[in-house]
Amino acid sequence: MSDANPVPVTVLTGYLGAGKTTLLNRILTENHGKKFAVVINEFGELGVDNDLVVDADEEVFEMNNGCICCTVRGDLIRIIGGLMKRRNKFDGIIVETTGLADPAPVAQTFFADEDVKRATKLDAIVTVVDAKNLPARLKDSPEAEEQIAFADIVVLNKMDLVTPEEAEEVEKRIRAINPYAEIRRATKSDVPIDSVIGRDAFNLSRILEREPEFLSGEDEHEHDSEVMSVSFEVSRPIDPERFNAWISQLLAQKGQDLLRTKGILHYQGDDRRFAFQAVHMIADGDFIGPWKEGDPRKSRIVFIGRDLNRPALRRGFESCQVDAPAADQA
Amino acid sequence: MSGAAEADFLLASRGVSRELGAWVVGIAFGRDGAGCAFGLGDGSLRIARLAAMDGEWQEVAAHDGACLSLCADVKDGFLSGGDDGRLLRVAPDGAVEELHKAGGMKWVDHVAAHESGVRAAAIGKQIHLFDGKGQALKVLTHPSSVGGIAFDAKGKRVAGSHYNGASLWFVAAKEDKPRLLEWKGSHAAIAISPDGTHVVTAMQENALHGWRLSDGQHMRMSGYPSKTKFLSFTAKGRWLATSGADSVVLWPFFGGGPMGKAPTELAGGDNVFCTAVACHPQHEVVAAGFADGLVLMAEIASGKVVPVAAPGRGPISALGWNPAGTHLAFGTETGFAALVDLSKRP
Repeated sequence: MSDANPVPVTVLTGYLGAGKTTLLNRILTENHGKKFAVVINEFGELGVDNDLVVDADEEVFEMNNGCICCTVRGDLIRIIGGLMKRRNKFDGIIVETTGLADPAPVAQTFFADEDVKRATKLDAIVTVVDAKNLPARLKDSPEAEEQIAFADIVVLNKMDLVTPEEAEEVEKRIRAINPYAEIRRATKSDVPIDSVIGRDAFNLSRILEREPEFLSGEDEHEHDSEVMSVSFEVSRPIDPERFNAWISQLLAQKGQDLLRTKGILHYQGDDRRFAFQAVHMIADGDFIGPWKEGDPRKSRIVFIGRDLNRPALRRGFESCQVDAPAADQA
Repeated sequence: MSGAAEADFLLASRGVSRELGAWVVGIAFGRDGAGCAFGLGDGSLRIARLAAMDGEWQEVAAHDGACLSLCADVKDGFLSGGDDGRLLRVAPDGAVEELHKAGGMKWVDHVAAHESGVRAAAIGKQIHLFDGKGQALKVLTHPSSVGGIAFDAKGKRVAGSHYNGASLWFVAAKEDKPRLLEWKGSHAAIAISPDGTHVVTAMQENALHGWRLSDGQHMRMSGYPSKTKFLSFTAKGRWLATSGADSVVLWPFFGGGPMGKAPTELAGGDNVFCTAVACHPQHEVVAAGFADGLVLMAEIASGKVVPVAAPGRGPISALGWNPAGTHLAFGTETGFAALVDLSKRP
C-alpha cells in the first residue's frame, strides 16, 4: 500500500570538504518555490540555511530477517515518521549523510521499512566528489568507492582546481566504478538544481533508461578500484521462474558484495518490460510499460559491486533464458 | 448507507466532532476530569471541556513545528513534546509553560507522567526526568535513541526502549544503573504490565518482545502483518491489546500466558489493519481504531463489538479513554477528531 503522493527523498553523500553543504545550500536557497525538510548529521564549516533542519544520529541497526547485510537507519525511520505528521509543510526531504557513511543503510531504509516505504519515495542518491582529491580518497577509503557505486548522479566538484587531463582521468575512475551514474562537472557545486532534485532515479520504470556513459564491455581496461560494474544482455526471452530462482540465490549468497543491481527483462510471453532493482539483498521488481514498437526485446542486467565473477554471472543470467528453439540445436 | 449510519450511531447521538486540519498525534484526558486535549501535527493543541464538549475547543499554540507526543500531566493539564525541542506543560485553561528546551535540533519524541509527581521526556538517547514542580531530577542515558517510554503503575520505575532491548530504571535510585533487558533489534512502543511483572515492546520486525522480570524469561509474540504502534494492558493486566493486525490482537497474561497461548482476536475479518487500541480504565473492554477510520469497542469476554464511528475519516492515529471510563476520544491522520460521551444516562 503506498500513498498517492509520496514525498520524494534525495540522499546527498560525499566526503567532508567535497562541497556537499554548498550544494545543499544552493538547493535550499535557489528560487524554485519548493520547501525541503533537511536531515543532517554533522555541522560542516557552513551553516545550513533552512527552516526545517533535523539533527540525525546515523543510528544503523540490523534487521532481524536473517539477512546479515540488511542494515537500516533507525533514526531516519523515526524522523520520517515525525515529519509525516506535518507533511503539508514541505515538498521534499533531503538527507545529508556524513562523509564516512556507507550509503547502503540509508537506501535500504526506503525499501525495508513499511512506513517509510508507504510515505516516501527515494528520488536519487547524489554523491559530491572533489575532483582534486578523489584519487587519494579512493585509495584510502572504501566509503568513497561505495558512495560512487551507489550514486545516480555524481557531482564532480572543484573543477577549477584540476587540469583538463586530471578531470578526464578522474571521470574515468568514476565510470570504472559506476558507468551508469550521470556525471555533472561543477565548480562550487554550481549544478542546475533540476539535475539533482526530482530525478525519480529509483522509479522502476526509469531503470536503465540512461545509456551508460562508458560501456565497460569485456575486461579491456585496468581495474584499479575494488568496486566495479558488469553488465550482460541476452536476446532469448527470460523464464521468470528460472530468473527468480537464480537471482534470489545470488542475492542471498553474494548480496553483501552486490551494491546495486538493475535489470530490464523480457519475460517469455509478456509484452511488458519487467524492471528489477536491488540494493544489496533487498530487491524490488514489477512490470513497467510495454516494449517500444520496433525496439529489440532484449534483457539486460547490471551489477555494481565487489569481487564480481563475470563468467559465473554471465552463465547464470544466460541460463535464465528459455530454451533455444529445437531448430537451433543442430 | 444504512450500515454507515448505524456504525455512526454513537458518534452521532453521543459525540461531538471537529475537523482540526492536521494529523492528530496524541490524545490525553486531564487527571482532574475536566478536559481532553488533542495534540496536532501543526504544533497546536485543542482542548475540549467534558462539561461543555460541544462548545468551543480551545486552540493552544504550543510548538513551532509538530506536536510529537502528548500525555496527561501529574495532577491536571497536559504534557506535550514537540519537534521544536520543547517540553511543555499546558494547564487546563490552556496556559503554556516551558519545562525544558533541548539544545540543537533535537526533538522531544516521547513524554510520560505519573500522578505521584514525576514526568519524563525522551530526547534522542536520553530520558529527562522532572518532578511535579518542573524541577529537573536526572538524565538517564541509553545506548541509542529511545523508541518509547513507560512508567510502571506506581511511578517507581521508568522503562525506555532502544536498539537491542530496553532499560528499566528506578526513578529514585541514588545511583542510576538500569536493568538492561536485552533482545537484538529495534524496539519502539513499550508497556509495563499493571502489576509490574512484565515489560513488552513492539519491534521493527512486526513482532512484540516481552520479558518476565522475575526470571528474565523472554516472550516473543509474532505474526503481525505490520508494525504494532499501540500496546495497552487491561486495567488488571489480564490482557495486552495490540494494534498492527487486521483484528484487535489480545495476549492473555494469566494462566501461564502469554507463553504457549494463542492470542484472542476480536473485530477482524475486514482485511483492514487495526491502527490504535486503548483499554478501558476499569472494565475488560477495548476500544480500537482502524486504517479505514472505523472505531469500535469490544467486550473481551463475550467478543461483542459495538461500533462508535463509521469508516471514511482517515486512519485512526490517536485514541484514548478518560480516567473515569465515561468518555472516549479519537483522532485521525487527516485531522478529524471526536469525543464521545458513553456515561450512563438516566
